[in-house]
Amino acid sequence: MGAPQRVIDCQGLTRNFPSGRALDHLTLDAGRGEVLALLGPNGAGKTTTMRLLNGVLLPHDGTAQVLGLDPWRQGEELRRRTGVLTENAGLDERFTALENLEFVGHLRGMSSSEARARGRTLLDRFDMGHRADVKVQGFSTGQRKRVALARALLHDPELLFLDEPTSGLDPAATRDVVDLIGSLAAEGRTVVLCTHFLGEAGKLASRMAVLFHGVLHAFGTPEDLAAELWSRFEVRLDLGAPAAPPLIAALLALPQVHDASPTDAGALVFTTERADVPRVVATCVAHGSPVYGVDPRDPNLEDVYFAIEARAGAPATAAGEEVPA
Amino acid sequence: MTALPAEPDRRADRAGIDWSAVRSIVRRDLKAAGRSKAMVLPMLLVPLLMLVLLPMSVGLAAQGDRLDPTTFLTMVPEQLAAPVSRAPQHEQLVILVLGYLVAPLFLIVPLMVSAVLAGDAFAGEKERKTLETILHLPVRDKDLYIGKLLVGFVPSVAVSWIGFLLFCITANLSAWPVMHRAFMPTKLWTLMIFWIAPGVAAVGLGVMVRVSVRVNNTQEAQQLGGAVVLPLVILAVAQTTALLLAGLVPTFVAGCVVWAIAIWLNLRGAQSFTRDRMAARL
Repeated sequence: MGAPQRVIDCQGLTRNFPSGRALDHLTLDAGRGEVLALLGPNGAGKTTTMRLLNGVLLPHDGTAQVLGLDPWRQGEELRRRTGVLTENAGLDERFTALENLEFVGHLRGMSSSEARARGRTLLDRFDMGHRADVKVQGFSTGQRKRVALARALLHDPELLFLDEPTSGLDPAATRDVVDLIGSLAAEGRTVVLCTHFLGEAGKLASRMAVLFHGVLHAFGTPEDLAAELWSRFEVRLDLGAPAAPPLIAALLALPQVHDASPTDAGALVFTTERADVPRVVATCVAHGSPVYGVDPRDPNLEDVYFAIEARAGAPATAAGEEVPA
Repeated sequence: MTALPAEPDRRADRAGIDWSAVRSIVRRDLKAAGRSKAMVLPMLLVPLLMLVLLPMSVGLAAQGDRLDPTTFLTMVPEQLAAPVSRAPQHEQLVILVLGYLVAPLFLIVPLMVSAVLAGDAFAGEKERKTLETILHLPVRDKDLYIGKLLVGFVPSVAVSWIGFLLFCITANLSAWPVMHRAFMPTKLWTLMIFWIAPGVAAVGLGVMVRVSVRVNNTQEAQQLGGAVVLPLVILAVAQTTALLLAGLVPTFVAGCVVWAIAIWLNLRGAQSFTRDRMAARL
C-alpha cells in the first residue's frame, strides 16, 4: 500500500482583498479520511482558504487540486462532491428544516422525494427529526448547526468543510457537535475543520495548520509540532514538600536533566525524553525523598498553539480563549 | 493544476442553461416571497387599487351625469382631446380615464413588483446570511443569475397580465351601462401590456439585480434601486399615454427600444456577475 491518496493538495495559494492580503502562499495537503484543522484567530485566513479550496473564491496566485479537480475550472463538479457548513448556519428562516434541505437537494440533482427522505434520515440522526417540519425561525444556534450539518451531508460528500462548527454553542451542544464530527470522520470522510477553538481541534484533528494573518506558521501533527518546538520533556514530581537544595543539585547533576527547580509540593524537572523519568525518580529515592506522584507531561495542543503564536510574533488572539472541556 | 472531471456534468452542458437549477431557485424564492407579508401585500394591494378599484370607480362615476370631462379636455393636448371628443359625450369620461389616463399604471405595476423582488435577490440573501451556502452549491454563476432574474420577472409579468385581465373585466362591467359594449382591450393596449410592460419589467430587473449584488441589505437595495428606477417610472408615465395616441407601429418600435435596453442591461449584469465577486463581498 502506498501513501494515503491526497484529497487536497495546494501550493502557494494567495488571495488579496482591497483591505489587504488574506492568504499568503499557503501550501498544505490532506489525505483521504483525514481531519485537518485550520487553526488561527479571526481574520487568520481560514474561511478564505475554505472558499478557495471549494472554488468559491479565485486565487491571485497558486495552484490546487481538490478531489483530483481544479477548484476554479471544475468548481461545479467539485462542489457536487463536497459539503460545507458555513460559520453562520445559513438556513432560510422562512422555511422549515426539511424545506431547507430539500432546496439544497434539488440543486444537487435530487428529486423532492429523494431529498426529503434523505433529509429526514439525517435530521433523525442528528436528533432533529422531531423538528423537521418546523420553521427554522425559532431554532437555537445548536439546532441550526445540526440542521446545517445535515444539509452539508445530504449528498454524502467525500470532503467536508466545516467553518467554526461550534461557535456560539453552549458546552453541551459543543460536545454533541464535536461527537457528530468525530463520527463523520470515523466514516472515512475527509474533514477540513476551520476553528479557533483548540479543544475541538485537539479532539478531532490528525494534523493542524496554524495560520496568522494569512500566513501558514506551522503544519503537521500536534506531536510533530511539539517535537519541533520543544527539545525538553517536563516532569512534575510530588514529594510531599518542596525539594531540598541537595536533591535539586543531584538532579541537575544528571546528564539527562536540563533544569530542575523546587515547587510547593516537590520539584519541576526538564529531561531530554520520557525514558529519563525512572532515573529521576531513583535519584529522589536515593536522597531520601519519598515520591508520591510523577506527572510526566507532553505538551498539549494549547501549548503548541501558543508556542507557535509566540514564535510567529502574532499578537494575543482570541484563539484558545475558549477551550471546551 | 488541472484534471479531468471525475464525473460528467449530469444536468447541463457547459454552454447551456441548467433549467433544473434555475427552476429550483425560482420555486424556492417565490415560495419564500409568498410567505412574506411585507412582499406580498404591496404586490397585491397596489395592483388591486390601481387596476380594479380605480376603473370600477370611474365606471360607476360615469353612470351619473355630474362628471363632465369637457372642461378638462380643453386643458389636455389636442392629440389626446381629439379622439376623446369624437366619442359621444356620455362615453367621454370612460374613454379619457380608462382608455388613456390609467395606462401608465400598467407600466408602474411591473416595475414596482420587479423592484420589490429583485431588490431581495442577492441583498436579501446576504441579509439572511444564506448567500454563502448558495455559493458553495454546485450551481453555475449563470444559472444563479438567471434564476434570480426570473424570480423578479415572472411575477411582475404575471401580476401585470392578471391585473390587465381584471382591469378589462372591471372596466367593461362597470362602464357597460354607459358604453353598451366591451371597449377594452384595444389593439394598442394589448401591444402595450404584452410587449412593452414585460420589457419595462426587464429594465427594472436589470437595474435592481445589479444593485442587489452590490449592496448588503434589502433596504439599501430599495433605496439605491429606487433612485435609479424612479426616473424610469416618471419616463414611463410621461410616455405611455403618448404611445396610445401614436399608433401601433410607434408603440411596437418603442417596445423594441425598451427591450434592447433591457437585454443590454441584463447581459452586462450576467457578464459581470461572478461567484468570486459575490464571495469577496461577504
